[in-house]
Amino acid sequence: MVDLSPAAPTRRFAVTLPRLPVTVSLALLWVIAMIVIALFADAIAPHGFTALDLKHRLVAPGEPTHLLGTDELGRDVLSRLVASIRISLAIAFGATLISALIGTTLGFLAAHFRGLVEQVVLMLADFQASMPFLIMALSVLAFFGNSLPLLIGLMGLYGWERYARIARGLAISAGSQGYAGAVRQLGASPGRVYGRHILPNIASTLIVSMTLVFPEVILMESGLSFLGLGVQPPMTSLGNMVGYGREYLTRAPWILLSPSVTIVLTTLAVSILGDWVRDSLDPTLR
Amino acid sequence: MLRFFSLRVFRALLTVTLVVTFAFVVLRMSADPALIILGPEAPPEVIAAFRKSWGLDEPIWVQYVDYVAAIFRGELGRSMRDGRPAIELVAERIPATLALTLPALALKIAIGIPAGIWASLHRGTFVDRTVMAAAVAGFTVPSFVLGLVLVLIFSVQLGWLPSGGQDTWIHAILPIVTMGVGGAAVLARFTRSAMLEVLGQPYMRTASAKGLPWARAIRDHALPNAAIPTVTIVGFMVGTLIAGAVVVESVFSWPGVGRLLVVAVSNRDLAVVQCILLLVAATMVLSNLMVDFLYGFLDPRLAAGARAGGH
Repeated sequence: MVDLSPAAPTRRFAVTLPRLPVTVSLALLWVIAMIVIALFADAIAPHGFTALDLKHRLVAPGEPTHLLGTDELGRDVLSRLVASIRISLAIAFGATLISALIGTTLGFLAAHFRGLVEQVVLMLADFQASMPFLIMALSVLAFFGNSLPLLIGLMGLYGWERYARIARGLAISAGSQGYAGAVRQLGASPGRVYGRHILPNIASTLIVSMTLVFPEVILMESGLSFLGLGVQPPMTSLGNMVGYGREYLTRAPWILLSPSVTIVLTTLAVSILGDWVRDSLDPTLR
Repeated sequence: MLRFFSLRVFRALLTVTLVVTFAFVVLRMSADPALIILGPEAPPEVIAAFRKSWGLDEPIWVQYVDYVAAIFRGELGRSMRDGRPAIELVAERIPATLALTLPALALKIAIGIPAGIWASLHRGTFVDRTVMAAAVAGFTVPSFVLGLVLVLIFSVQLGWLPSGGQDTWIHAILPIVTMGVGGAAVLARFTRSAMLEVLGQPYMRTASAKGLPWARAIRDHALPNAAIPTVTIVGFMVGTLIAGAVVVESVFSWPGVGRLLVVAVSNRDLAVVQCILLLVAATMVLSNLMVDFLYGFLDPRLAAGARAGGH
């Protein structure tokens, strides 16, 4: 016998890291930097973010003690930026998790019970998708007053309908596959079937949707805070800083420039990452 | 066909009912409007009189029935601030808002759709990448940041355009551009992916295989089919004509419905907020209904599917 097959490729024992496109690496670096800043905000900020320094009001950026300048009350812009990144990211993370949890649960309920429950869930999803979220959020927030837990909870309603639709569709198709039926035949409770068996199988798709919803939540929260109806002083968020920095647009544009740039770069970075994860994990979602 | 449309109408009515209930429940149960309007120091008898005159002392379900009945009579309550009918307050702001949102919609369509088609026909080239980069930027830059940057450049630095107010049509330029650019980006992205989807279909290959010039294949086969998803997103934009300018109106101090909503929300002016919510819901539902009807004509399969008991 003549061996016609080409020589077996020599195996390399080097660990091959997936090669990331430049934009994705940059986006990853930015997101990691933001997370580090949010986690260690207290250590990073040179001043307290509410500390007044009335002698140094509206100082332009570049001073060694106030790298990004100060605002109209002499508060350090860099310290406020760091605190804002923490709050804005915390809200966006919390809201994304809540929304994924609500949406997935409702989607599973719809898939499990079908019938009336399914119709109600789908109707609510249609309703949520057809109403502008900002308008509904505005009414709820202002009338319930403003508190951070309420804001996070409200933002946690953003995008739930997308998870619900995805989870319902995937759970229905998973239910007809062998493994779910097998576990059910073995006597597993519905909670166990959905939580331990179906959820892990559809998790990647849900995580992809989370990375796509996350930047929208950041934008929505910063918009609300910009209008003065989101995060309330003395707390600060990125949208807040832009909102009051606007009063000093001509005299001290640096107050709103750094939070604006942070919002844009963060949403951009997470969107790039989300698109990349989607394309590499689940090309069917396009 | 009839079944398809009547199903859509039924769902539209259901959505309106949900919005009415949502508005009522959230706005009535969240806080005591009497205390907010009169202040905590008001004497108890004044508060009691106020509650009685607004019907706030009735059980909540009586208030709800009254409210729905009033809507059917066309009464949407009076502003708790100055006692004028809420619908009047809202109606007089609509022209100002439409003066921004209609030109902005035209701008979105005029830029977004051609850019998306152009990018899809030159896929992978420099043109495509430029359009897509612009589209991503348009999505990630929030409208208030874009608006303030435009103010910084064209009002503060160059001094060409006013930064806010509503005196002349020149005041409308910056808000319209701010809204138009962001929406155009979204539309370009949608149109491009809709076109790419269609261009990959077998019937496009058939069209060129039977010798149809490419330009005609695009015109006769690609564009009409790509129009279906694009109509959806344009329909959504039509639905936000009334309420889509909340942030931009605030940036440019434009006295439209959006500004009224923000002010009413901070004043807790229940009637005005409810009125705007209902108006927004009505426009959203109407435009969705129009999109559904358009679908039925653009793609007869959808209506046929409904008749066959499908979706």
